[in-house]
Amino acid sequence: MKTGKELKPGTVLRIDNDPWLVQKTEFTKSGRNSAIMKTKLKNLLTGYKTETVYFADDKLDDVILDRKEVTLSFISGDAYTFMDTTDYTMYELNAEDIEAVLPYIEEGMQDVCALTMYEEKVVSVELPTTISRQVVYTENAARGDTSGKVMKPAKLANGTEVQVADFIEIDEWIDIDTRDGSFKSRSKK
Amino acid sequence: MPQPKTRWDIFCTVVDNYGDIGVTWRLARQLVAEHALTVRLWVDDLRAFERLCPELDIHLDTQWQQGVEVRHWPAEWPETDAADVVIAAFACQLPTRYMDAMAERQQRPLWLNLDYLSAEDWVVGCHRLPSVKYKSVQRYFFFPGFQPDTGGLLRERNLIEQRQAFQRDRASQRQFLQGLGIAPASDALLISLFAYENPGLASWLDVLAADVSPTHLLVPEGRIVGDVARWLEVESLKAGDLQIRGALTVQVVPFIHQDQYDRLLWCCDFNAVRGEDSFVRAQWAGRPMLWHIYQQDEDIHMDKLDAFLALYTRALSPAAADATSGFWRAWCSGQPVGQHWLAVREHWSQLQSHAEAWSLEQALQADLATALVHFYRNWL
Repeated sequence: MKTGKELKPGTVLRIDNDPWLVQKTEFTKSGRNSAIMKTKLKNLLTGYKTETVYFADDKLDDVILDRKEVTLSFISGDAYTFMDTTDYTMYELNAEDIEAVLPYIEEGMQDVCALTMYEEKVVSVELPTTISRQVVYTENAARGDTSGKVMKPAKLANGTEVQVADFIEIDEWIDIDTRDGSFKSRSKK
Repeated sequence: MPQPKTRWDIFCTVVDNYGDIGVTWRLARQLVAEHALTVRLWVDDLRAFERLCPELDIHLDTQWQQGVEVRHWPAEWPETDAADVVIAAFACQLPTRYMDAMAERQQRPLWLNLDYLSAEDWVVGCHRLPSVKYKSVQRYFFFPGFQPDTGGLLRERNLIEQRQAFQRDRASQRQFLQGLGIAPASDALLISLFAYENPGLASWLDVLAADVSPTHLLVPEGRIVGDVARWLEVESLKAGDLQIRGALTVQVVPFIHQDQYDRLLWCCDFNAVRGEDSFVRAQWAGRPMLWHIYQQDEDIHMDKLDAFLALYTRALSPAAADATSGFWRAWCSGQPVGQHWLAVREHWSQLQSHAEAWSLEQALQADLATALVHFYRNWL
């Protein structure tokens, strides 16, 4: 069982005996400290997609899936090929299958990802919670702020825009929390 | 042969204050009065309900009030048939045996979680979405709101017309106020104050007392009365008490039922309200207002406040919007508000016409009760 707040992209729920892949989640605080999780689901048997919303403490029946460690091998158009780090098997996914992590996928990335299989079919790829990416463009710090509280937009190599601390400069590496896309810190690398 | 009426069950747990029961009681009455439905209202705390409905006998498990079957929600759940539509208000957990009864029905009921009111954008994306199933019964989320594609706000039929007629009728207003023992000076600014405790109150009262023009402050019995008493330097205050400090007259009024409270809001030039139910009613009053939002952990409530302010102030001039936002944000943070009040007063006529326009704009949306009925019909 999983609770609503434990859902994340890649989780597979069993609903009416069908497996449903959680493709996207959005956690929100509702009123009086209650919280809800909005999800985008895909039926793994029919391909049908729907949206649902759960209370954070709703109990949901999840499916235990086969998981493999993979790294990105190459990108060709809308096809993303990952390679099993143990047996070198190649798995091809399209952009739609990895919608939730797509903003952080880029050529040359070294992150070890978790690939999820359902009945020998690849259903999702999850990134580590923290990833490191290089900033290719950002405006210069305007106020010389070093507190990290003042934020500004920055562009990554794949065009994704993230909010970073004002002191971050072009070519620097930053750590990003992939659960919500937030800037964590300047990378130590 | 006439069709049997659709049966609705509304479940309400009173967590604190009167917002939960205020909203569900209003909804239940409207579903009966305007949609000819059979409605049972299950309430776990009849004592809290009694404040809003003094006719209630708190010792009865079942009774009828204004066409609504009011049922005490006991700890030990009685054998009960499930209704056609089941509303769990504000994330309350239905009794398991009642959920079993829902699942056993031949015609599955519509099960709704009626959630909290918020102006945040995510509400639109979550409104009417399905959720978990209990056995074969699907739960849906239903969100009230201010934007199209939400469930709208509770608003009785002809409410705006009634309010406008009352506000045009000085004699009716005077008579209503006299009935509550209120006789403001003809040139006094009439303010109602229904709020949670607030350390920022003293700075507001200081400014009102020092003003050159008079203010008559009406304080319904409630949580802020203690702060008012402290500012007045009196030991306590009770309904009917009246105190004067400089240009400010402070009067405590009794806790009144919902229809009377509406009229009180309609009489006032400015209304400070709190929570959810009185917040909505102040908007229908069409008068400038201040909202004391329910406080949440991690200051989440400030995001919700800002989301509403962004909608509410978008038609105001930048200066009037800043004055309103500054006042509300300071009040909800417990900061001094005296200077913010003076800023609000600089834009008074704009804020007055805006409050009326906002009320009329919101009234263009389907009301919450009607939206629920439509959702049920479409779901069928």
